[in-house]
Amino acid sequence: MADAAPGPGLAVEAMLTPRGRSPGLGEAAWSRRALAVQLAVSRLAAPVWVPLVVLSMRFGFRWRIRGAASTRALYASLLSERRPLLVVANHLTMVDSAVIGWGLGSAAGHVLRPRGLPWNVPLQRRVESSWLWRMLAYVMKCVPVPRGGDRQEVAQVLERLAHLLRSGETVLMFPESGRSRTGRVDTEATADGVGRLIKEVEGCRVLCVYVRGDAQRTWSNLPSAGDTFTIATRLVEPRTGLRGLRASRDLATQVVRHLVEMEREHLEGRAS
Amino acid sequence: MTEEKILEKVVDILKPYAKDASALASVSLETNILSGLKVNSARLVDVVLAFEDAFGIEVADDDADKVQTVGDAVRLIQGKLA
Repeated sequence: MADAAPGPGLAVEAMLTPRGRSPGLGEAAWSRRALAVQLAVSRLAAPVWVPLVVLSMRFGFRWRIRGAASTRALYASLLSERRPLLVVANHLTMVDSAVIGWGLGSAAGHVLRPRGLPWNVPLQRRVESSWLWRMLAYVMKCVPVPRGGDRQEVAQVLERLAHLLRSGETVLMFPESGRSRTGRVDTEATADGVGRLIKEVEGCRVLCVYVRGDAQRTWSNLPSAGDTFTIATRLVEPRTGLRGLRASRDLATQVVRHLVEMEREHLEGRAS
Repeated sequence: MTEEKILEKVVDILKPYAKDASALASVSLETNILSGLKVNSARLVDVVLAFEDAFGIEVADDDADKVQTVGDAVRLIQGKLA
């Protein structure tokens, strides 16, 4: 992020989709400068919004995370290694990214080390539904992605995420293309974006995260108030001998298989 | 292989993925695969992988990104076969 050129003009531009960028700047250069500005703004605002989000989860919804200390210690050690780290998780509720962020680091930890707060990839349609959503998504390190749209636009988003990973930032992605309608990790809904990112970023490690509240039976908008979450992690470095699209598909499938195994272990552990 | 033959094979491959089967009856080179045939965007990769198998070609990510219409697919395949 050394090429940062913070300025209010770029900050406003960065809240727009690629279609709204300034003429004269190449797509890659524009994206990198816009991301650098967004990162600077997010870091400045982190002492305000990070504690607010965590307090609302802890005391507003009375959520708890089981064994958060060991998860946070593992994550901190991974961050200290300074290698690209992609966080990939199952997806059951609209606040999974916030819960996972909280599970990976305390409010104080994220304020002091904002690099550990993962970038998120929310749906562009939702983000663009109001200026409030746009502002929140901007400050909370989000790169909106169009769903069901032009693959070239999705490729631009993936290129931004690859740049962030190479720059030492962490990125959180849900490979199921949305909340799992079956309540289980949906192998049929796997999109290839995760695999493509792993392929593009040399030495990319993947931290698979399986998160589920004790009361979470299937997908929903929000977890139940007072729920306690288990967050299981597994560090993997997927490899493939395939090329092109098949490589992306193979890498994404490997990651989802890990999530399926983690889900099985979680559910078996809960049943016993 | 002629453009007609490629188009015929491409439409055959698209059949199981098209949610709007009626659109297949009037398919043309201009038909958009996602919005016209209602193919799920996540399944577009499966479609392109099926092109690879059917025509014995290899498609790079960047080339696959450019496939929006049936004509894009036909031209991509023609280019790879040439």
